[in-house]
Amino acid sequence: MKKFLFFSRLFIWFSLRDMRKHMGRAATVLFGIALGAAVFTSVRLSVNASLDSFTKSMDLIAGRADHVLTRPGGYVPEYLIARLLDHPMIRNASPVLTTYTRVSQDGSEPFLLIGFDPILDRPLRNWRINDKSGQSPVVWLDLLKEPFTLILGEPLARQLNRAPGDSLYLEHAHQKTRFKILGMLERSGLSLAEGGRIALTDIATFQEFTGLFGKVDRIDLQLKPLATARDRADIQRLLPESIQLNPPTAKRESGQMMIRAYQLNLSILSFASLFVGMFLVYSLVALNAASRRHELAILRATGASAYHVFFIFLAEGAFLGITGWLVAIPLGNFLIKYLLHGVSQTISTLFVRVQVDTLSLSVSEIAFGFAVTVGISILAAYQPAREAMQVAPKEALEISQLGMRPRKSPGQLAIWGLICILLVLPLSRLPAVLDMPLPGYLAILLLFVGFSLLAPWALQRISHSSSAVLLKRAGIPAYLASRYVRDSGTRTAVSVGALITAVALFTALVIMIYSFRQTVTYWTYETIKGDLFLTSKMGEINRFRYPIPQQVIDDLQDYRSEIDILPNRRFFLNYGKFPYEFELMDMQGFMQYASFFWLKGNPKAIRPMLKRGEGVIVSEVFSNRTGLTVGDVFKAQIEESYLELPIIGIVRDYRTQGGVVFYSMPHFNAQYHQTYWGGLRFFFKDRSQDLDLAVAKLRNDIIDRMGDKVDMYSGKGLRGAVLKIFDETFAVTTVLLLIALVIAALGIATTLTVLVLERSRQLNTLFAVGASFRQIRSMIFWEAGFMVVIGELAGVVCGFVLSCLLVFVINRQSFGWTFLYGVNWGALGASIPLIILTALAAALPAVKMVFRKPPATLLRER
Amino acid sequence: MKPESSRSVISAKGLTRVYKLGDSEVIGISQVDLEIAAGELVVLKGNSGSGKSTLLSLLAGLDRPTRGDLTVANHDLNDTSDADLTHFRRQVVGMIFQSFNLLPTLNVLENICLPALLAGKSVAESRPKAMALLEWLGLDARLNHLPAQLSGGEMQRTAIARALINDPAIILADEPTGNLDSRNGQIVIDLLAELNRKWDRTVFIATHSTLADDRASVKIGLKDGMLTSLP
Ligand SMILES: Nc1ncnc2c1ncn2[C@@H]1O[C@H](COP(=O)(O)OP(=O)(O)O)[C@@H](O)[C@H]1O
Ligand SMILES: [Mg+2]
Repeated sequence: MKKFLFFSRLFIWFSLRDMRKHMGRAATVLFGIALGAAVFTSVRLSVNASLDSFTKSMDLIAGRADHVLTRPGGYVPEYLIARLLDHPMIRNASPVLTTYTRVSQDGSEPFLLIGFDPILDRPLRNWRINDKSGQSPVVWLDLLKEPFTLILGEPLARQLNRAPGDSLYLEHAHQKTRFKILGMLERSGLSLAEGGRIALTDIATFQEFTGLFGKVDRIDLQLKPLATARDRADIQRLLPESIQLNPPTAKRESGQMMIRAYQLNLSILSFASLFVGMFLVYSLVALNAASRRHELAILRATGASAYHVFFIFLAEGAFLGITGWLVAIPLGNFLIKYLLHGVSQTISTLFVRVQVDTLSLSVSEIAFGFAVTVGISILAAYQPAREAMQVAPKEALEISQLGMRPRKSPGQLAIWGLICILLVLPLSRLPAVLDMPLPGYLAILLLFVGFSLLAPWALQRISHSSSAVLLKRAGIPAYLASRYVRDSGTRTAVSVGALITAVALFTALVIMIYSFRQTVTYWTYETIKGDLFLTSKMGEINRFRYPIPQQVIDDLQDYRSEIDILPNRRFFLNYGKFPYEFELMDMQGFMQYASFFWLKGNPKAIRPMLKRGEGVIVSEVFSNRTGLTVGDVFKAQIEESYLELPIIGIVRDYRTQGGVVFYSMPHFNAQYHQTYWGGLRFFFKDRSQDLDLAVAKLRNDIIDRMGDKVDMYSGKGLRGAVLKIFDETFAVTTVLLLIALVIAALGIATTLTVLVLERSRQLNTLFAVGASFRQIRSMIFWEAGFMVVIGELAGVVCGFVLSCLLVFVINRQSFGWTFLYGVNWGALGASIPLIILTALAAALPAVKMVFRKPPATLLRER
Repeated sequence: MKPESSRSVISAKGLTRVYKLGDSEVIGISQVDLEIAAGELVVLKGNSGSGKSTLLSLLAGLDRPTRGDLTVANHDLNDTSDADLTHFRRQVVGMIFQSFNLLPTLNVLENICLPALLAGKSVAESRPKAMALLEWLGLDARLNHLPAQLSGGEMQRTAIARALINDPAIILADEPTGNLDSRNGQIVIDLLAELNRKWDRTVFIATHSTLADDRASVKIGLKDGMLTSLP
């Protein structure tokens, strides 16, 4: 305790007072690290909020069921209930149907309608009616007795401005029906799912409303506690073969897996800001250790041990980390407002629907943010602290300062750097660990470290070899600058390292986003072809599960002369834990107007095979995730049929909810079973007309004839929407990227200022021997120029390598896809000079600082 | 501290310090033999570059000899651990430098107390002693000033107080008057002489000035790293 008190005092006396003296520097570094910490924690908290809300919804909806019966891509026959309830090992069984529906009024948001049997469901789920009069048993009975009645979640009722006794019109694929509200759910249990935007109705009403007579989505089961695997097999035998008996967690787990992968990616990206902040801490602590070398020697000479010195500097790092983290709290508070929305939006469009209602401030997440921030700050301080520890007490004496060269030569560092860079390739070849691209991230870290270690050597070589030329061409200031940079050793190299990291990140992400966007754009134009798309009402949010009304199909026949109508059907399935879509389509018609984005296999050979239904093609994501490739056999249970089809090709596909498998619809109908049409796409036969106009006309025509029974999207609108989602997704990324750049610019400004301050004596000597203000100013700009240009060049090189890692390793391992590699020369070309200018502008405060004190007084100072 | 038992407080035999500079070697001091009894006031004279600071750094435990034996106040300095050397610097010797070497972020009182705190004493314990020293040195009005606010003479007196806070047996001063005018230089030398006379400390002054000549009880000379007899 006494020791600790003493050490705190020493730290305050020696370090804090010095930091206070150089407030600007310390504040800049604090701000940098705080920004990094704020981004890191608020990103993680935002994704956690989505993850929590998703998990909670899934758990609440699953209730106490321990098994669930489903038929992949289809429905479970309702009559199975009776059979199941007879089984001795089944304690409870409850049929469930869900769909999204909405109130029939403009702009109303869809909500989840659940159809169930209140009596059978009672033991499985918690739902209670919010009433004080003790009437709730009656209300439940009324729900059973009275058709088209509802019980609403309280938040939904509030948003709709409805109370028990009121009625409302609900819309669904085929209907618009009047419902009466019987009551409201208490805010507990099931009513917390989907942020409370749910409504309950009796199963018979639900079936009538949606047209699903005799069918349910699933049957939730609770087995007797002693049920064994044998009993489960016994139950399975009661069921038709196409029905699967699974634990209810499968769907939740696949959703969580996707969100976690996304969280890891965002965490790493936001960690980049912290990583750049780490350079800032390093440069400040290293500067303190170097510029206060003499003071350290005095401290040692008066009796401080080497460990005192070591811990003083570690404590400086810890102090910066802790204070930075504290400053991060208000910053994060501000950031999270933006991120929470952006992130849940992204997750909803990319992976699974989430409704974020609350931000849960988990203690462990905040502690994690604290530990990471303080941890990297201490880590950043470690090396300077080690060096400070080596300062000999003897240096306090007036002994000639000759024998004090820096310990590690730039050449040695460069060799380590090279080793790091060489390790990148083998690491990037390693498979993902636990579904996360950890070796890939390690490779990225090594890449950054490697380039940063190369920086001192590169600086030395380049300034060395250019100094003679500079003297001749650019005059004495440039020459002096090059000599200074050459001899300044690791000091300048640190901020160059920070710049390299930021520029590399920038370059790589610009390339990646551009490649991604180009590829997706190409994909949308090739694959999402079609002049108009049509589904049943709310088809998309209900995953195309409801057939297009026959009436509509009949009416559309009148247009056959002008347009080709291509039907499709999409099934949402799982391959093991991995979710994918099985899409049936009219291959013949499709390939007449559009094509696939081929990745593997010979298109010329595949196309006719596809049209003849001789196999399936799968998306790259599906192939990477399942390990299946051309020549393997795709096996799946789809509704009542079991498929085994050869995989004949792999195509690129960028839909976000997993992979896709394509097969010919007529052949499926012929070989397996008849399926209905889930969606349609229209192509005008006459491609020479004004298509936009024709689409608008057709659309209006259909609305006139069929009312609002269907949802329609123009092909143009759909493609635009895909790209809009893309851009929104990367909005979060761009913000994180800009923050990293800001932090790097702070680094350059600090370093230059410090370099100037440190040399004020030397600069004034130059002045005294006849250098003009202009010459000295120009010398400092040249120094800045050296650092910035070298940082930029190395950063761009590093960025290109990094972009390959991102496109071909990280994306492949975390999302399953790769892109056509493309470089946005325009954006890079414009941004590079911009970054150089910004970094040079960062030299301005340093230049201002040069002659803050009259030269003569400086010469006399020690 | 252990009481002085043997008669000589500093004993060196064949003491040598060679600096390596790349491939070449520079001799700091070479084959120095020295016996100094407790309570002497030693003045070490020599030109710039003759090895005075080198010898002092060895005596103060700031550096280690290349060859030779060195015992200071019963501490064998030939093969001591780093920890022992730190302890030695804290407790056995007090050091005074040409450029004062006060820590710029600590005020006068804090600078003086620092070695006591490093040795594990509390502020409350070390403060009375520091105040007494300040009074003796005529600095009592200055205790809350930072070094930058002091004159050269005041800075050096602060440094003397710092050297004395842990009651060392030996005071080592390397060119203590080098950065002072002659009046302040004389004050510092007088103080060191007083220390030697009244408080019975061994004082070892390295200097090339003549200010301390008439106070010396022992005079030694260094030339090119070797002892010389003085005129
Ligand atoms: N760290 C060092 N590296 C190399 N040579 C040194 C070092 N310290 C001192 N010397 C050399 O040792 C010799 C003695 O120096 P020093 O002890 O400082 O002399 P003085 O204090 O008498 O001026 C000089 O030639 C000096 O250059
Ligand atoms: Mg000297």
